Amino acid sequence: MIKITDLEKFYRTEEVETIALNKLSMEVGTGEFVAIMGPSGCGKSTLLNILGMLDDPDEGSYMFNSIEVAHFNERKRADLRKHNIGFVFQSFNLIDELTVFENVELPLIYTGVPSAERVKRVEEVLDKMQIMHRRNHYPQQLSGGQQQRVAIARAVVNKPKLILADEPTGNLDSSNGNDVMELLTDLNEQGTTIIMVTHSEHDARYSHRIIRLLDGQTVMENIMI
Amino acid sequence: MIRNYFIIAFRNIRRNMSYAFLNVFGLTLGIASCLVIFLIVRNELSYDAFNHKADRTYRVTLHALDFNSNISVAIVPAMRLDFPELEQVTQVFFQTDGLIKVGNNRYDEKNFAFADEHFPAVFDYQWIAGNPKTALAEPNTVVLTESVAKKYFGQKDAMGQVINVDKQFPLKVTGIIKDVPGNTSLPFTFLISFITIQKDFNHNFWNIPGGSYVYIVLPKNQSIKNIQAKIPAFIKKHWGDDIAKQATLPLQPLKDVHFDQRYINNVVTPTSRETYYVLGGVALLIIITACINFINLATAQAIRRAREVGVRKVLGAGKGQLIAQFLGETTVLVLLALFMGIAIASIFLTRANNILGININASQLGEPVVMECIAGLTVLVILLSGLYPAFIQSAFQPVDSLKNKVGISTGGLTLRKGLVIAQFAISQILIVGTIVVARQMDFFENQNLGFNKDAIVTVDIPDVAKGEALKQQLLAEPGIKDISFSSAAPAYSSNFCPFSAKQLGYPKDNVTELKNIDERYIDMFGLTMLAGNKVAKDDTLHHVVVNETLIHDIGIQDPQKAIGQQIEVNGNKVAITGVVKDFQSESKHKKIRACVLMYDHSNFYSVSMLVQPAAMRQTIDHVGKKWSAIFPDDLFSYQFMDDRIAGFYRQEQKVYTAFRLFSSIAILIGCLGLYGLISFAASQRTKEVGIRKVLGASLTSIVALFSKEFIVLIGIAFFIAAPLGYYMMNNWLQNFAYHINIGAETFVVAISASFIIASVTILYQVTKAALANPVKSLRSE
Repeated sequence: MIKITDLEKFYRTEEVETIALNKLSMEVGTGEFVAIMGPSGCGKSTLLNILGMLDDPDEGSYMFNSIEVAHFNERKRADLRKHNIGFVFQSFNLIDELTVFENVELPLIYTGVPSAERVKRVEEVLDKMQIMHRRNHYPQQLSGGQQQRVAIARAVVNKPKLILADEPTGNLDSSNGNDVMELLTDLNEQGTTIIMVTHSEHDARYSHRIIRLLDGQTVMENIMI
Repeated sequence: MIRNYFIIAFRNIRRNMSYAFLNVFGLTLGIASCLVIFLIVRNELSYDAFNHKADRTYRVTLHALDFNSNISVAIVPAMRLDFPELEQVTQVFFQTDGLIKVGNNRYDEKNFAFADEHFPAVFDYQWIAGNPKTALAEPNTVVLTESVAKKYFGQKDAMGQVINVDKQFPLKVTGIIKDVPGNTSLPFTFLISFITIQKDFNHNFWNIPGGSYVYIVLPKNQSIKNIQAKIPAFIKKHWGDDIAKQATLPLQPLKDVHFDQRYINNVVTPTSRETYYVLGGVALLIIITACINFINLATAQAIRRAREVGVRKVLGAGKGQLIAQFLGETTVLVLLALFMGIAIASIFLTRANNILGININASQLGEPVVMECIAGLTVLVILLSGLYPAFIQSAFQPVDSLKNKVGISTGGLTLRKGLVIAQFAISQILIVGTIVVARQMDFFENQNLGFNKDAIVTVDIPDVAKGEALKQQLLAEPGIKDISFSSAAPAYSSNFCPFSAKQLGYPKDNVTELKNIDERYIDMFGLTMLAGNKVAKDDTLHHVVVNETLIHDIGIQDPQKAIGQQIEVNGNKVAITGVVKDFQSESKHKKIRACVLMYDHSNFYSVSMLVQPAAMRQTIDHVGKKWSAIFPDDLFSYQFMDDRIAGFYRQEQKVYTAFRLFSSIAILIGCLGLYGLISFAASQRTKEVGIRKVLGASLTSIVALFSKEFIVLIGIAFFIAAPLGYYMMNNWLQNFAYHINIGAETFVVAISASFIIASVTILYQVTKAALANPVKSLRSE
């Protein structure tokens, strides 16, 4: 599904140039669950942003489903993103002014799904995430664990092929964290490819493979058995 | 999708009530002000335009020694004969005051128009009863306006009823019309057939009764130039060769009557179009200020909402969708402000007559053309205030916005600073404008009048023969300090005649005002003698006191040298026995004219009294009783000299009141925006303030930190506002023959006011930020 080759990303200020990704290459197959680990500043989030087409690389190639997307313009990236990729963030990133139902509905609105179909699909996914009873609540009325369930519901409602999770349990206690990891595992078992950035060895163990980064380069890969 | 935008918009308003309030309240005031100003300007600029023949209607005026809107009644039949191509020629005689008797009730009424039967074919009025073609054809007939008919006859049918005017003639009601619009140059309440009084006029071409107006209507597709070309021959035929050489009959377009300030003897004092353009400019500045607020507050909020934009982009929102969303939110706020603005404007308009002296019906807000303007204004405001923030917000990079790393700047100087500078500049221009108008008003009414106006009351004398009897009564009144009889007090001018000085080499006629005064006049009004003697009771009709302008007109600079000189006034040889300093007998729109003062008790139609201020009310009551005893058939009325002078400047007073009101609103709106911005800046810099306090910063240094930026902005704004304000107001002042000079102090006041307003606005927020516990502010980050 994903093949990146010699990917480079620099951050420049007037005086300093920082290398975030240094000729990084990797592949992720369809249906895989990959964890990316490494110390702060190693380039994990930069990599995730590029994989999610939120940012573009300075050099190198990024093939997504055999299409070169490294130098797509914003509109093309947005189009590809909304049909193929779901995001889960550490800080949930729910919109405070929208209810649980409306937050989950949002990606369907942007992909032009008709209203009746939207209601059906949102209810389906809320049911699956066991958060249906909170459908009319606002994010700030929910616990952290519930908010992350809503965020996951929102990430999967469009049935994306790939879910990118950026430290999805970082703001949760261990019990809620485990629940979230179970959910991601279930999704993966149903065929969704998952790439997750994490600091937690515990969470990484849910994955099939761990890629460890240091200074923008892959330093090790562990296959989980 | 649209539903989603509106949901978000409403919930955002609810969550950020104070921000929404500042925004909507500012915009509401802005929209309400714009609507009111629009209606005022439209009302003023469309004077007489309600007549469907207005574009083809002209007033026949006279220009001999001066521009005169009055003209001989003899001209009407002559024009009908000599200009057969004209569609209409109509005569109207306007009388300001009159006494009406209906049964046993007496009413002191105003605004009588005596018009011939052609009048209704020229001017459009809404007829409720009667036939416009015949209503004015017979003598002793009157057409009443609706409110007068109701006042006299209530629910009874007024048609066929009889009223009496001026103890002279009975009038039968032959028609009722809706009250005439407020924006007409002939604002009558009674329309009486001209034939009723026709016999009272001297029908020769030389006689020009005050109040006599003639209008002509040109046929369609006919050029006025054809008529103008025939005027010289017409004058020659009826007035003779000599007059034809020096006089013309300017044909004044009906729509210009209200704006041509060369003619002072109009029923409604003319005003300048520029004044209303300035007011329109104020409306523009107000709406710009309100939009700037909107943009400033919205872009400030945008940073706060960056994360939402990031999330939406991650979830697939396109730039267009985000622009639509933010414009949608702006639309909700603007519509909210619009409805409230319309409500405030209609409430204000019902009271505008008292506040601004204008008579505009609030129902005009519902007229199609006004609705179209409101729709246009709405779209303009939405685009002006919504588009930029929408573009800014939609352009945030999702990665940055999710990390709250966005900032808004354009080439170093942020746009917001530019907008704040614009806002300060606007308020400074308006402050300069308000000060200049206020000083000019004070100059009009109180400065350099050349005579004393305080505590002086003037009363008319209906019968000169009884003047002496009244004088004896008034002299016995303890509240009266001094009395003077005359044909007219200083601020009243009605009698003009030609003068020349053949002996001094000025044989050509010039125009002078002629006042007949008694021996107390010069002292009581405090006129300043420059040479010779005052007017004395034993003066003959051959002794006159003249003003400075007159002696300058005949080539004498030194007043002493004028004494004893012979001049001709109204064809009579007279000798100058005294020279008085110029005084303002007309409004300051006009240059002071020559004036001749002479004793002639046969023209003492007016008595002026210097009253002790403490006993004013009581004294006027006593005078009223004594006056009524001597003139039992007339109604007592009096006028303060102050009011008379203020009357010259009623148009300017209206504009001044409007200017003061709307400038204050513009400044208030600017303050709202500034308050919003500073509270935003304070909340954004909470951490900085916390760190500075931990490091030992004092309250003063933190207040200074925030204020420094605004002081610089006010300074920059001043350099823009000062020349612009000077240019605009100096242009406005050129409308007046006598005006103030705009001095440096005006600008000092404007910039100081700007500083004070900004300080008061920001001090509360900044002090709050500075006094906050640093531990809390650091923890909040």
